[in-house]
Amino acid sequence: MVALLKEIYRAEPSFDEVLAEHPRFPRLIARKIDVQRRGVHYTEAAEKAVDPAVHQLRSPYIFGSRDGEIKPLPESLLLRDGTTILVDPTPLDQNPYVVDYRDGRFVLLDDGQRVEEVDLWPKPSYYDKLTTSGLPMSHIVSARPQRLNVFQSSFCYFWADKEGCQFCDIVTHTKQQRDEIGVPNRLRPEDVKETVAEAIKEPGRFTNLCLTAGSVTKGKEIFDLEVEFYIELLQAIGENFRTKKFPSQLIASAFNEKQLARLYNETGLTSYTTDLEVLNEELFGWICPGKARQVGYQGWKQRLVNAVDIFGRGNVGTGIVGGVETAQPSGFKSEHDALQSTLAEADWLAARGVTTVYIVWVPRPGSAFRDQKAPSLDYFIRLAKGLQDIRASHGLKVDFDDYRRCGNHPDSDLARLQ
Amino acid sequence: MAAILTPDVIALLDSAETIKILATVDANGAPDAVEKPSLHHGGDGTIHVLEFLETSAANRNLTHAIWFGGSVSIALHGADGHRVQIKGRPVKLHITGPLFQKHYVRARETLGDVDLAGVWVIEPDEVIDERFEKVRAREDAAHPDFIHLDRIAV
Ligand code: SF4
Repeated sequence: MVALLKEIYRAEPSFDEVLAEHPRFPRLIARKIDVQRRGVHYTEAAEKAVDPAVHQLRSPYIFGSRDGEIKPLPESLLLRDGTTILVDPTPLDQNPYVVDYRDGRFVLLDDGQRVEEVDLWPKPSYYDKLTTSGLPMSHIVSARPQRLNVFQSSFCYFWADKEGCQFCDIVTHTKQQRDEIGVPNRLRPEDVKETVAEAIKEPGRFTNLCLTAGSVTKGKEIFDLEVEFYIELLQAIGENFRTKKFPSQLIASAFNEKQLARLYNETGLTSYTTDLEVLNEELFGWICPGKARQVGYQGWKQRLVNAVDIFGRGNVGTGIVGGVETAQPSGFKSEHDALQSTLAEADWLAARGVTTVYIVWVPRPGSAFRDQKAPSLDYFIRLAKGLQDIRASHGLKVDFDDYRRCGNHPDSDLARLQ
Repeated sequence: MAAILTPDVIALLDSAETIKILATVDANGAPDAVEKPSLHHGGDGTIHVLEFLETSAANRNLTHAIWFGGSVSIALHGADGHRVQIKGRPVKLHITGPLFQKHYVRARETLGDVDLAGVWVIEPDEVIDERFEKVRAREDAAHPDFIHLDRIAV
């Protein structure tokens, strides 16, 4: 499989050939996409140049990485235009980009050629501290260049029913993190509150908070317990701010109107995201069997639309795993058809005030789709442009999920010019 | 090849008395000129511009320029009448890290409750002395025929 992957990338049109087809697409964003698609490998020189006092090393994350390992490597990269690249270390034989250290700088190499200069993420000052309960704060709240991530629990009840999403490795990864580095299964609100308080002492570092976890289907009504957890957590976090509302994003299950109203009224939350993962009813049924059985594609969509009435236009989004619509055997056979179908659905959602962002699909070793192949760079470029054009044409902003607040969506990177 | 900033130009860049204008263009070629008192010498031959507003025209245009190889123009007018135009390219945006944090802290100390979206680094390509006598001398040398005859009448 590994050797095959290498051949596949080499047989593709080169980066420059693909870019020549898209002269109005920013080269740096295309580079980000390609790096995310293929992963990175750090040379020995780069590893030696990493300074744990200055650079942020990998912290607990909700999903696993494509090398399937937890090693003290850099968390991720920044490009010279301020673009974040969230990317995993990847085994060399899968033909990833290489991060090297040359003439006092970190550089990105493709096939031995220097293609960009990169920065490592700076380490936030709270990372070396412990909570009063004795836990490393970096295990409680993890940082991006400008965002605090709270992964409240990394268990997903769809997995318990053997109906987890097929691209997802959340539970595999949770077990690994718990066993290897002692990350707690579930966070206590007081630890989170204390860590956030410490983090926001650093001037000019963080611009928002993002909470996410696996789905909790339990409760009187489905997801009641999940909502309860988030309310408790958001209220604890909110005690750190003098305003009732604070810039924040919750990526969670598809809640009903009563649950959403509670979240909005009882906490400082400002935006809500629930991921459809794939914008096609049939594929949703195949790829996200738990979501499909318990809520359904139409039901999930309707809950997104209902959320706009509560959180407001431009504050509600759905994430998709860009490219998973081409997974085989049931996915689209042609990239053209996959794109048409995805963009048509995104347009339907945007017309109702819901913004769609994508992440680059990486077939991870801990997921059911581990042996699949992600689509071409050309596909991801068209998807980014298509989603951003739709957003702009409906006058939708994406402030809660843009290049600074999140940094993981090539399409919302393009919103910088909107 | 980056242009060298001479000590007098650096002094102009760093003087609080200097009027500093940053001119950029958007994706459709529409120009935007804005006064940027925050513009200063970066210390290493580059120019730094503090951008306080994420969605300002200048910030969007600088992004467009770094993405598509565009350039910007900076006009400086010193208190002593010294005028310079610098043409350059944005080569980096700091949105986090020590340089960003230093400016963030200083900006809030000096300007009050402001936010900082980013610190742009501009690499100068050309420095043009815009003092009128210099411009006129250049014009006279290049186009001696451009003159009203009454000026040379006996
Ligand atoms: S809902 Fe799907 S993607 Fe999300 S954690 Fe559960 S299985 Fe993974």
